[in-house]
Amino acid sequence: MTTLIILVGLAIYVLLYFLYGKKLERDVVGATDANEAPSSRLYDGVDYIPARKAVLFGHHFSSIAGAAPIIGPALAMAYGWVPGLLWVWFGNVFIGAVHDYLALMASVRYDGRSIQFVASDLMGKRTGTAFYWLVFFLLILVVAAFSAVVGGMFVKTPAIASAYVWSIVAALILGVLIYRVKMNFTLASVIGVIMLAVAIFLGVEFPMPATYETWMYILFFYIIIAAAIPVNVLLQPRDYQNSFLLYAGLILGLLAAVFAFRGFEVPAFTSFSPILTGGKPTPFWPAIPLIIACGSLSGFHSLVASGTTSKQLTKESDGLLIGYGAMFTEGFLSTIVVVAIAGFGFTALQTAAAEKGIEFTLTASTWATQFTPLSSKLGLSQANLFIQSYADMVAATWLSVIPTQYVKVLAGMWVAAFALTTLDTTNRLARYCVSEMALPLKGTSAGLYNFLTNRWIASLIPAFIGIYLAYSKNFTILWPSFGAANQLIASIALMTGACWVHSKLQSRFCHVAVIPAWILWVTVTAALVWFMWVPLPANIASSPVQGWTVMGISIVMLIMNFIFIVDFVKKYYREQVQSK
Amino acid sequence: MKFSPISLLREFLVRLDDHHRESAAALTAVEARELENIFALLVLGSFIGLPAPPTFLAVELLPFMEREIRILNVRAEDAGDMLAEMCGMLGIDG
Repeated sequence: MTTLIILVGLAIYVLLYFLYGKKLERDVVGATDANEAPSSRLYDGVDYIPARKAVLFGHHFSSIAGAAPIIGPALAMAYGWVPGLLWVWFGNVFIGAVHDYLALMASVRYDGRSIQFVASDLMGKRTGTAFYWLVFFLLILVVAAFSAVVGGMFVKTPAIASAYVWSIVAALILGVLIYRVKMNFTLASVIGVIMLAVAIFLGVEFPMPATYETWMYILFFYIIIAAAIPVNVLLQPRDYQNSFLLYAGLILGLLAAVFAFRGFEVPAFTSFSPILTGGKPTPFWPAIPLIIACGSLSGFHSLVASGTTSKQLTKESDGLLIGYGAMFTEGFLSTIVVVAIAGFGFTALQTAAAEKGIEFTLTASTWATQFTPLSSKLGLSQANLFIQSYADMVAATWLSVIPTQYVKVLAGMWVAAFALTTLDTTNRLARYCVSEMALPLKGTSAGLYNFLTNRWIASLIPAFIGIYLAYSKNFTILWPSFGAANQLIASIALMTGACWVHSKLQSRFCHVAVIPAWILWVTVTAALVWFMWVPLPANIASSPVQGWTVMGISIVMLIMNFIFIVDFVKKYYREQVQSK
Repeated sequence: MKFSPISLLREFLVRLDDHHRESAAALTAVEARELENIFALLVLGSFIGLPAPPTFLAVELLPFMEREIRILNVRAEDAGDMLAEMCGMLGIDG
């Protein structure tokens, strides 16, 4: 079954890439190499620079790949493996990849300008400005959700914590070798990979056990420090080193999934509304985008695609592979996650329960009500469940020559690397968002403006609020709120894409953008209302400050969401009436 | 072209290497851009009201500055639109 699903997933992606993707390219966007791309038209040798298709694909993919495609599908196992997998595939093909591709191509046609600029131009300035607010909220919630993931992982498997700390030391050394010693790049890379292997070895041999709260303090200072030091000291060599982890993890996972030849242990479908978010029954529709989040589609992708990728695209025909194809690759990563947990997650939970002496009552019929509470009780939820299942999946194949403990640490470092690279870049982005958001205060209240835009204050706000939220350990509340912010950005970006296709390209196939835009907006809006109506009040009762913080953010996001739809409807349908 | 798994693997490794080099160089390139910005401001600053002393230098160099002026224009327009670029540059994603 594991092999079958991987092959079916692969076939779906390849087929729809050529059928739906090519249709999108040809009939909707009308991509043609006759249009000179901004990378050559506006070539400046730094931002606007043509990159080879494969290189740009790698660059774009490693930028958009994150921890959410691993954690989201793991949480969605509460529904059984089929619903989550269907949302990953459906969302990828018809919403997520369309969103990424349109953002990329709109940016290309707008001289490499951002999707935010395109939104301002097409739908009104306030829609563009709203990006700052949504991204800022998202940064706070990213810190909260990802710190909780990393903290949970480091507590459960102290070897991962130790290996990651050693890998940071390795990255610092790599930075010195490349930038100070000016060592030959290939030699430095080889040394970097060896140091990474040594870090994993040291992690396994000398684990670093600490409490969840201790890790929260450490992460708080890490986020602040990592954002303050020059990029070439830690961020750049660490990102470079992590790309090896990403590819090693993906290739190993793919091989293991293909050769595991194992039936699925997790039920295919459990319930439409299992216990999940905040311990409440969570209906598949509309809540699923908040749970799976980036595994299916992500708003950040539109920013990445229109921020750097569009300036480096050599020709328009490369856009489909990079914009549409990279999202498929991320979806394929989610497919591997589903396969690993569906094939090996049940045994992992059973073994953990036996080790802890906890009565194991999880069966197909009790799965909907007991999976989330039990996995959380066993410390084997979301990332931890994936790590254990991944290691067991590798151990079930000829790849078992690699000791399971090492595979577990490798998988853990993979997730930690994804989460931590996002965490330590949030502050740099937050500083920028705060300074743009506070701009109206400059004339009226210069003192407050100067205070808010102070680099330390602007950095501390998201780090402090985020870590404070994570401190509560209420992960199943933090995760959907992060998902909501992310999916809302995707919703605006897709509406922008739909407007662009409709008004600028005047494509008669614009419904392939407009229909997913409406589906996404209605679903995310309903999900946000449900989230504020059902799980959040219970959360407010148990932890008021955390609950009200999330509620406040959700209320502002919901109001903005209605403003967007008004802008979209005004722009889109007024033009339609005019054209008639 | 003749298909062979070895050449395919070699091609894959070369592209992977290219990608790594590209990622490593991208952020350093931003530093270079800042230096270019400073240079352009220094030489052409007087045109936008900055009291740059070497105006005569700008006039003398003007015929060779066409590309720089074009880039300066694009960057001036992009200066208020950095959010997406930062997301792409920092590779931030959920």
